[in-house]
Amino acid sequence: MDSRYDFVIVGGGHNGMTLAAYLSKSGYSVCVLESRLEIGGAQENAEPRPGFRIDPHASVLYGGAAPGFEQLELHKYGFRMSYWGQYGLAVTSDNRAFVGGNRWTFAEAAETLRPFSEKDADLWGSMMGFIFPHLKDILRSTFWTPPFPPELEVEQTDLPWVKTWTEASGGALPGNFFDASLVDVCDELFETGALKAVTGLGAWYSGAAPTWDGMAAQAFGSFLLASYGSGAPKGGMHTYAHAIARCALAHGARVLVNCPVEEIIVRDGRAAGVILADDASAAGKTIWADKAVVSAVDVQQTFQRLVGPRHVDASFLQKIKDISLKGGSLYVLHVVCKELPRYVGQAQELVEQVGYPGSVLYPCDDWDSVVAQMRDAYSRKTTPTGRASMTLPVLMPTTYDRSRAPDGYHVLSPIYIEVPPPEYHVGGPEAVNRQKEQITAEMLEMLRALAPNMTDSNIVDVYVNTPLDSEFRNAGLVGGNWYATRHCEDQWWTQRPLPELSRYRTPIDNLYLCNQTSFPGGLCLMAVPYNLMHILIDDGLVEPADWWYPSPWHITDAGTRIGAN
Amino acid sequence: MSNLDEYRPPETYITEWPDSATYDAAIIGAGPNGLITAAYLARAGLKVCVLERRYEIGGGLATEEILFPGHYSNPHAIYHMMVDYMPPLKDLGLDKHGLMFIQPNAQTAGVFSDGTSLLLCRMLEDTKDSIAKFSEKDSATFGRVMRTWRRIVEELVAPATYLPPVAPIDLIEAMERTETGQALLDVTEQSPVEVITDLFEHPKVQMLLLYATCMWGLDPEETGLGFMIPLLVDRTMNKAMCYGGSHRLAAALAREVVQNGGSVLDTAEVTKVRLADGHVVGIEMEDGRTIDAGVVLSSLDPHSTFLDLVGEEHLDTNLAQSVRNWEWEKWSFCTTHAVLGSKPHYAVDDPWVDEAFMTVVGFDDPDSLLSYWSGVRSGHLGDRVGGHATCETLYDPTLSKVPGHEVAFLQIHAPFDLDGGGWDARSAEVEGLILEQWRRAVPDLDVVMTHTETPLDIVRRLPNMRRGSIKHGDYNPLQMGTFRPNEECSSSRTPIEGLYVCGASTYPGGLIIGGPGYIAANAVADDMGLDKWWSTPDYIARYQAAYMEEPASA
Repeated sequence: MDSRYDFVIVGGGHNGMTLAAYLSKSGYSVCVLESRLEIGGAQENAEPRPGFRIDPHASVLYGGAAPGFEQLELHKYGFRMSYWGQYGLAVTSDNRAFVGGNRWTFAEAAETLRPFSEKDADLWGSMMGFIFPHLKDILRSTFWTPPFPPELEVEQTDLPWVKTWTEASGGALPGNFFDASLVDVCDELFETGALKAVTGLGAWYSGAAPTWDGMAAQAFGSFLLASYGSGAPKGGMHTYAHAIARCALAHGARVLVNCPVEEIIVRDGRAAGVILADDASAAGKTIWADKAVVSAVDVQQTFQRLVGPRHVDASFLQKIKDISLKGGSLYVLHVVCKELPRYVGQAQELVEQVGYPGSVLYPCDDWDSVVAQMRDAYSRKTTPTGRASMTLPVLMPTTYDRSRAPDGYHVLSPIYIEVPPPEYHVGGPEAVNRQKEQITAEMLEMLRALAPNMTDSNIVDVYVNTPLDSEFRNAGLVGGNWYATRHCEDQWWTQRPLPELSRYRTPIDNLYLCNQTSFPGGLCLMAVPYNLMHILIDDGLVEPADWWYPSPWHITDAGTRIGAN
Repeated sequence: MSNLDEYRPPETYITEWPDSATYDAAIIGAGPNGLITAAYLARAGLKVCVLERRYEIGGGLATEEILFPGHYSNPHAIYHMMVDYMPPLKDLGLDKHGLMFIQPNAQTAGVFSDGTSLLLCRMLEDTKDSIAKFSEKDSATFGRVMRTWRRIVEELVAPATYLPPVAPIDLIEAMERTETGQALLDVTEQSPVEVITDLFEHPKVQMLLLYATCMWGLDPEETGLGFMIPLLVDRTMNKAMCYGGSHRLAAALAREVVQNGGSVLDTAEVTKVRLADGHVVGIEMEDGRTIDAGVVLSSLDPHSTFLDLVGEEHLDTNLAQSVRNWEWEKWSFCTTHAVLGSKPHYAVDDPWVDEAFMTVVGFDDPDSLLSYWSGVRSGHLGDRVGGHATCETLYDPTLSKVPGHEVAFLQIHAPFDLDGGGWDARSAEVEGLILEQWRRAVPDLDVVMTHTETPLDIVRRLPNMRRGSIKHGDYNPLQMGTFRPNEECSSSRTPIEGLYVCGASTYPGGLIIGGPGYIAANAVADDMGLDKWWSTPDYIARYQAAYMEEPASA
């Protein structure tokens, strides 16, 4: 077997595979090494019951605005979508509801808010009116552009997302928009508690807590990511991974699964290759990289385990150790049932009027309950409290993709709540696993409060993955955290994961980072590898053909701006 | 601020796979055979598209997280019996995709109610040592017989697996030319029970060899398929496990297809084979998308291919009749998959049994086995079941992601139509019987979690394993050789121009032997005049020289 490649990529998750596609399409020899049985990382589906396909992790397409779809031509490798009609039905505890959005016309969605508030309906409608024509630019400037060189002096007005938001809004944004939290912004804009809750929870479940200061624009952007072509890949997220993998393979990449990497070989301060674990499914256990080794596993495993303390200093290792994993550890429920949830009151009337949504948030009433849930998940409590007010996002894939269950059946997957990460739980890493029965029962009770027909006779099966389960089955989800390190200002843009690593380079020459612990973090956006490509090109390692286009906001180390608006 | 009413969203956000596409060949079903055919043809320069109904390719080559979360099992194929022979593995160089097989020495164990055990090993002398515990005579016979049977497999049965079928009369004539051929003819007209009880005297030896011979669907009492006995006995001592799960084989094949310019489309259920003037012109999918292709290969069962996709109106009466008469398998399987807290330890005389790849439990002699199978064939499971168990993590620890957890299963032969209320009503009860039997053999079985897949579940996961038929149709003399699936189609060509069949219902059959896919690839390559980049393996060439070519005139 070949043992020498231009690029060796450690980790065949979404980011590693997308980079493999970019690099192989650029003409380089690439080898991807994945420790699990299958590529895709969190872009996966499982069929624990025959004919029923659940989403243990990623479930919604957030990356519709990614340049990768065009650049890698994923349509040629089978990419297809199942679009939602309505997305995000918000239901309050008194069973009133409105539609958070809709793929084609936000006007209709905004009208459903009118019974709650004339003012909010008008404002929501006009906000979406200015956002949507600029949505691709807003999202690309926020997620699909490499962080600026951290040492560069930058005015706030020079930041890419500040430019696009400002331009889109025509100056109508609240003055504190770029310094505030999403809670502050929503409090200033909206009067309906449920609209605030939907916006905040939408952002939170997309990886950005609305209480984080200075992150209002990014949090609102996270909320909007799912609006760009909202829906899911036909057949589930793993088919998206297949399209990416087949693009890489078609361009000659070698993709090896069941090949855990033991060590990144560092010689004279330079990454030269990798050594595979003894139980790897490969004949040659040493694989050399002529151009670079790219670590598509999280930054902590990269330096603590793969590079090891021999090659980096103690102060750097301490910073790596201190990167916060809080936020995004999800307790996930999957329900197999015969009937879809039937709501009550005005919520059910609305569904009958506009059709079944792809997802439901329940109950979303006001800030207090949202903030209480975040405190439960992030503060250091022995046992999370406030179950009575926890909000369930319920994804209903069978409402938009009939391939997910046999006729006459449905899956609700995933349904989740955020819980403390195992490492931070005062009760120890196993604490949440010990509460499994209780938490599951409480979540099912909440589901019945939303839809009384979710009885034992309707529910056929229930599957659960706790954060610890998620970490075991998918080593990349450290702490069961779906977004790796949290997306707060301390760990965003030039701070993610650390200033000295924010441009995807590392203290080891020819070792680069391509994991969600780098900017812009989690979700299957194809953004980390797209951003990293800019750096590899600047470093002279990659020269793609004319299908490549850079971010218009990219700044090279010399400070020269690439591209034009 | 602009007015929302003026905003018109884009027609599409993301470019998708087109509504219609053109390929040289469309292959229906991404199981082992569909993928093998596709991989050969793609490398021969044909533009191929493989279409799979499920979200994941592989068909029976499935590795699934049915013990959710964190444990992976092989719900279908696990025992790969032809890896020593399958041409695709070497031709396609699948090891470069990390494909690896583990072929342990301790292969098939039988454990008995009196605490004794029997172990069939890859190494003949190890097997003889174990048989000698029961009968010196049987041990000697086994050694002698296996020397002949191994030759039969190597010289005749294995090579014939990868060549188009030959009419019985011609086959008999060819076999008569050599001593090995004559030895094969001698067993062919005997039933498995006759062959095994004639040769061996000890009931436990008889039982285990009979189990190995008939577990995949040979009728123990039926004559006419005796030529498979040497193969099945030899292969029960040469099974291999695909490291990382059986799905790895499918994935390696798919990588070959894609790296040679082909496409693989999952979640793409084909609903129609399109014809024009009696010739294949393409396929249509469930969502209305179409593919234009002058060649279509179906790896599905005959009913799906001919009645559902082609349509009876396009079939001549003979073909339609033969498809309607197709017999599904005499039994299916019910499997209890389990997460165990420790590796199973069998309470028997020989500790080596704990390392066996497969362990048969529940039967002490041929009569108890035959009576169980006969119950199964009439829809009945008694209060004692028996079957075979495997601890998958024994050889492949990667299947469990949870520290300390082992993944194992016990599989029993089971009727599709279960009496007493059917599978959905009785699956928990049957799981109880399976665990009870398992615990008789492994008293300290440490069960953490279970998941039972019934014959109904087999169909739910893979609908064209109709009535739980894992080989797409029974192994009986009227459905084997040139009769599989019928005389018109057994060479993989069909009466419909451009349509080929390449699945387990086509000669030589199922069980991940790769024969149908390999033979179909050769047929298409011949018909289209493609440059065959592969060469015939030596063992097949020797067979062709000795048996297939007219002997030089005297």
